[in-house]
Amino acid sequence: MAKRPPITNRVKELREAHGGMSQAALGKAIGVTRQTVIAIEQGRYSPSLESAFRISRLFGVGIEDVFGWAEDEV
Amino acid sequence: MSFHEKSAWVMALVLLAGAGFYFGTVADMSTELGIVAPPVLPVVVIYIVAIIVLSIVGHIAVAVSKPSEADDTMDERDRIIASRAGSFSGVLLGVGVITGLGHYLFYYDGNLLFHMALGALMLAQFGEYAARIVMYRRGV
Repeated sequence: MAKRPPITNRVKELREAHGGMSQAALGKAIGVTRQTVIAIEQGRYSPSLESAFRISRLFGVGIEDVFGWAEDEV
Repeated sequence: MSFHEKSAWVMALVLLAGAGFYFGTVADMSTELGIVAPPVLPVVVIYIVAIIVLSIVGHIAVAVSKPSEADDTMDERDRIIASRAGSFSGVLLGVGVITGLGHYLFYYDGNLLFHMALGALMLAQFGEYAARIVMYRRGV
């Protein structure tokens, strides 16, 4: 089984805090499919740096407010 | 499930069915002849046409089932998955062809070489779509 990326995120939390933005709407806003947003939220995919910046700018927060590093990883 | 993942499922199943038809036919012919059957053009043509027709029909069915996603272009995750699956496919093709060539060096069976080379191509293509499915399911 593929190892989960050690990057955590608060995308779902921020999306819900922004008026319950749908996964499809977020995907369209940053240029990925709804399935990719789902994969990011579930920790099955770490987005590119460009997409990470797009997400953080969309929510008006810093990139480290959205993404973090799993503490148990080196 | 995205359009591209459904597409991978369609292609994997179509290629599996095609390989079953081709090698089933070759096995039947070989049993009748008592040797490895030579490549027969009509069988190869039927295989290729069937693959094309089935993949078109399959993709139309997938598109009709969810028209809103039918024109989705590949996003960054799709491209990474396609790239890694393509690399895996290349390895399968290489190993298959080298195995076929190695076998020919010892047994000089051109018929078997043809079937092994075509089989390697089928395996590589199937492996590519299977790898895509695994990565879509388990993550990249």
